Amino acid sequence: MIRRRAETQQPTEDTELLRTLAGVCRRAAAGDLEARLPAIGDSPAAIEARSAVNALLDVTDAFVRESGAALSAAAEGRFHRRFLTRGMLGSFRHAASTIGAANDAMQASAVRVAESDRARLALADQLESAVLTVSEQVATAATEMGASANGLSDFAREAVAGAERGLTTVGSLRTASDQIRNAVDLINQVASQTRLLALNATIEAARAGEAGRGFSVVAGEVKVLANETSESSDEIIGQVATVQSAAADAIEVLESVTESIREMSRLVTGIAAAVDGSHDSGNAGLSQLAEVLRGEVSRFVTTVRAS
Amino acid sequence: MERTFGDDEIIVSKTDLRGLFTYANDVFLRTSALTEDETVGQPHNIIRHPDMPRAVFKLLWDTLKRREELFAYVVNLAADGAHYWVLAHVTPSFDGAGTVVGYHSSRRRPERRAVDAAAALYAELRAAEQRGPGGSGGQAGLDASWKLLHERLGGRSYDEFVWDLTNGGGR
Repeated sequence: MIRRRAETQQPTEDTELLRTLAGVCRRAAAGDLEARLPAIGDSPAAIEARSAVNALLDVTDAFVRESGAALSAAAEGRFHRRFLTRGMLGSFRHAASTIGAANDAMQASAVRVAESDRARLALADQLESAVLTVSEQVATAATEMGASANGLSDFAREAVAGAERGLTTVGSLRTASDQIRNAVDLINQVASQTRLLALNATIEAARAGEAGRGFSVVAGEVKVLANETSESSDEIIGQVATVQSAAADAIEVLESVTESIREMSRLVTGIAAAVDGSHDSGNAGLSQLAEVLRGEVSRFVTTVRAS
Repeated sequence: MERTFGDDEIIVSKTDLRGLFTYANDVFLRTSALTEDETVGQPHNIIRHPDMPRAVFKLLWDTLKRREELFAYVVNLAADGAHYWVLAHVTPSFDGAGTVVGYHSSRRRPERRAVDAAAALYAELRAAEQRGPGGSGGQAGLDASWKLLHERLGGRSYDEFVWDLTNGGGR
């Protein structure tokens, strides 16, 4: 149509054509890649010019659509969606390859992140399992220790009671010794009196002369008996002293043993409190501590898994 | 007769929202054996080949309605009876305000290996479409074809199927 017009009209027509071309390029420059150059003539030059402009717009349009979509896909983890370099030439191809390389790098880093996630989850599983095992073992040990401590406490109480009964027994032995000593003192006094009586009887028998001779023999025998009684009493006193000394030693030993057992009982009570927990001080026992540890680790592991 | 085009070429066309051509580049016109006047203003299905399953076009329109891109292996029919395979990248065109104003297709020359795999799948789908009551246009045939497509993809999306073929066959 343009070609059929007269030669003199040419400058106006060129102006019109250039305006159309400028309009399309301006639209494209402003980001409207829908713009394409309409037919501008039937001459081979006009057809080629239009084809060239539209080819530029086509490749730019395709590049913009591809690059945005390829990067969005990579951001969403759809790494299989590549930037197709086929049909892209020169700088377009180079840029497409660069985006492809970035895509590869993102994929590699996503793989690494996934691997580290897997490792972290495996670690969380291992930690949880280990803590579970430990806390179960601690709970079992605590139960056994608690039972042992209670048994020891009972045993200590019984031992202290037994030792106290022993002290009482030894104490009554001392009392009995004292009573024996009193009885022996009394016997000694009687023997002493008897010796005096025997002496007087000997004197009286001598004064009676021949008539008192038989009585003198009896008085001598009585004196011998009194002396023997005194000797036996001294022996008893000695033995009583030995018994009393032994009783005192026994008391000392028993008191020392009792104190040791009481100390042991206090220690065992401390162990029982550590194992079972103490209501007075509000301390948690081993079993509770193991449960708290398990709870804390479970919370930690849950956080690790979620992050 | 099968026609091909250059490795460095891109077949480009644009349609409006109704699927009527608003633009076709010279590679499109040459490959389709059409003139610009025979193309612009005409519906997109003037190049539709009878071997193309309806299930793939359903997937195409479902995807575009979600404002997403689709890569698809497509066989087109030229006006002179020849056919040509393309790896089509179909995208919605947005204006500055983000409104969809039309659709755009950039098509590249596919690898033979990918074409063979796509052709085998499409032949099965077309057979399923033709078996249903009402023939290839019936809803039952489309449903059967749609179901078969997903069976054949075996848990992959069609997108993944296309990219497996594309990445495996070289770019």
